[in-house]
Amino acid sequence: MSDRLSFHVQRDSFLHRLNPLTKLTLAFALVVVAFVLPFYWTPIFVLFAVIVPLSVSGKIFREFSWAALRLILPAVGFLFVMQALFQPIGEQVVFKFYFLDATTESVAYAFRNAARIFVMISAFTLFLLSTHPSELMSDLTRRGLPSQFSYVVISTLQIIPQMQAKANAIIAAQRSRGLDTESSFLKRAGALGPLVGPLVFGSLVEVEERAIAIEARGFTSKRAKTSLYEIADSKFESVLRWSLVALVVLSIGLNLWHS
Amino acid sequence: MFDKIKSNFNTQTWVLIPIAIAINIAIGQIVGLLKLPVFLDSIGTVLVAALCGPWAGALTGTLSNLIWGVTMDPNALPWWPVAFMIGYMAGRMAEWGFFKSWWKIVVTGFVIAITAAIVSTPISVYLYGGITSSGSSFITAYLMQTGTDMVAAVFSTNFLVEPVDKIITAMLAFSIILGLPKRIVGGYPKSEQAQVEGGNTQQQLYIAVGVIVVLILLAIFVISKITGG
Amino acid sequence: MAFVNVRNLTYAYPLTKQPALQDINLQIEEGEFVALIGANGAGKSTLCYALAGFVPHFFKGELQGEVEADGKLSSQSTLSEWTLNVGLTFQNPFNQISGAKYTVFEEIAFGLENIGVPREEIKVRVEEALALTDIRELARRSPYSLSGGQQQRVALTSILVMRPKLLVLDEPTSQMDPVGAKEVFSAVRKLAQEGMTVVMAEHKTEWIARFADRVVALKEGRILMQGAPREVLTSDLLFENGFGVSRYTSAAREARRRGLWTKKSLPVSLDEAAEGFGAIR
Repeated sequence: MSDRLSFHVQRDSFLHRLNPLTKLTLAFALVVVAFVLPFYWTPIFVLFAVIVPLSVSGKIFREFSWAALRLILPAVGFLFVMQALFQPIGEQVVFKFYFLDATTESVAYAFRNAARIFVMISAFTLFLLSTHPSELMSDLTRRGLPSQFSYVVISTLQIIPQMQAKANAIIAAQRSRGLDTESSFLKRAGALGPLVGPLVFGSLVEVEERAIAIEARGFTSKRAKTSLYEIADSKFESVLRWSLVALVVLSIGLNLWHS
Repeated sequence: MFDKIKSNFNTQTWVLIPIAIAINIAIGQIVGLLKLPVFLDSIGTVLVAALCGPWAGALTGTLSNLIWGVTMDPNALPWWPVAFMIGYMAGRMAEWGFFKSWWKIVVTGFVIAITAAIVSTPISVYLYGGITSSGSSFITAYLMQTGTDMVAAVFSTNFLVEPVDKIITAMLAFSIILGLPKRIVGGYPKSEQAQVEGGNTQQQLYIAVGVIVVLILLAIFVISKITGG
Repeated sequence: MAFVNVRNLTYAYPLTKQPALQDINLQIEEGEFVALIGANGAGKSTLCYALAGFVPHFFKGELQGEVEADGKLSSQSTLSEWTLNVGLTFQNPFNQISGAKYTVFEEIAFGLENIGVPREEIKVRVEEALALTDIRELARRSPYSLSGGQQQRVALTSILVMRPKLLVLDEPTSQMDPVGAKEVFSAVRKLAQEGMTVVMAEHKTEWIARFADRVVALKEGRILMQGAPREVLTSDLLFENGFGVSRYTSAAREARRRGLWTKKSLPVSLDEAAEGFGAIR
């Protein structure tokens, strides 16, 4: 486990240099378009004509495909199988499994749904690969998001790996004392307390001191906050963002008109 | 409204939220490791809601879901409104005094569960056509195959799955608060909401068990109504 | 007029009966370096919190008396105003890492961002502070990857960079090796000479004797005695009250009891002890 929780890969690329808000808007726009544009192949088109080329131009194609194959494909694949089997639509049965059957219609339906979810996840993966969390939060704070949000998000990302490390240590300790994660249900349920207790109480007791430490450093100061880093933005990007918003509105309109 | 939201947040709230999110995720993973048939991934959210208020709870739930979604399981992402409402509802229940004894906690857990079931139904229906990648979709699929319409099938499934999980979640959050030194609990904006009412805890637990039984009977009745009609 | 005035301060934490501080009266001049000593639970940390404004703004509970610094009363100020003038670090360095930053440089800049210092000035001040505590080489590291002693230096630097007029340090060297601790003491000494007022709760009496201007000994929430470091640290009163003073002093005291130690005063450092014991032969 890495010491911080972030997909971000540092590269020098066009995609990395874009303002974080632009990339966030792009990710949202792609997801909405994939979901609402009323053409069957929209999600596949978005994936191969926009997301994959962007990952190449962002010099993160390797990382992106790794995430797509290892994280996204299994999750979406499972969804596809579930939906193909469980959707009670269609006549033409292609596969039967007890009371469940996959029809040509349910397979087509499942494929489109899976493709949409695939686009949703991969759009955000692309965003996360090319954007450092503190860059995003500084930019959003500069645009008026209360600075406490930046604190919460970044410190959560840093605390989770620490907590997981602690959890692993506790699990290892309990295992050496005979905890068996394969034993009977009651035993496993009973093991929950000794595993969770130390983890939870230890970290809750720290809250007070941590609050004092940030208060001592002006956390609740009423003055306008500044930022160590300057995040680049341009007129061009602003236009780009608004065009993306227009695209979203347009596709929602098309969806409503079509149906 | 704005002042009400603000009243949920002091510095301790801001420090607690990341820890609560980490607790959600860590416990969620430990429960998965122990292969227990529950999620228990909102204990931190309920904890924040009880100690700081509904808006702090809602924020914890939402962020927890988003962060879990973007770092561990992307399938979780669309469900953030459920996490929002779990936090919000837990906070409201605490405001209404339902975070002060064991039997009240059970009611709180049940109300949170109903809320979660209601909010997740439309997401499940519109985004996934009723069939998600969760194991409980077997039940939904079965109900749909036997002719129940999609919304009813999804809701009944959620209604079956949620209460056990959320009641245990609320009870664990309550026992964590009881286990913390009073001085530490005192620093949060709404800590007085989570103070125990007088009375024998043993006796309270018996009442709690009684309440659970009543709620289960109620649940069976409601589900048979939905799927039957 | 003293820079810090504590008048008749009595304070009890919520849900406790026994006051943590009782009837404390303390005046500290501008640029003075005062060391607080005492056993755990003697009230050192609580006095630090009171000076830094966290009592009564963060910790509720019963407070009588007042704390004044730079002509203002803590009770009539808000915590965020008070902390602009008064900096605080405490013992556990891990809990002092904000968590909101990825590198030591950013971590030290955190406080300056919060109080709205312009970007270019932040960079200059962080560089200066890093040089002052000699941790330039840590600037690019993650605060979580550091040792306890290094984290303590980062915590101290994070406060120094805010240029408080009064610096309150609660056991700032507890996780440092002797060399590191001495360096911190000497850096603090230098800051006091430049006009910063310093209050430091510490156990390391050898460095206190060498660097502090005055020692205040606390016992059970009260000031037992105060005065010049040598005078306080070698006093019989402290010894009788079970204060853990340096082993050089204890050894010489024992030697004096047996009629071996002939010098007028007891030693507070290794050098003095060596000299005194050398004279016995």
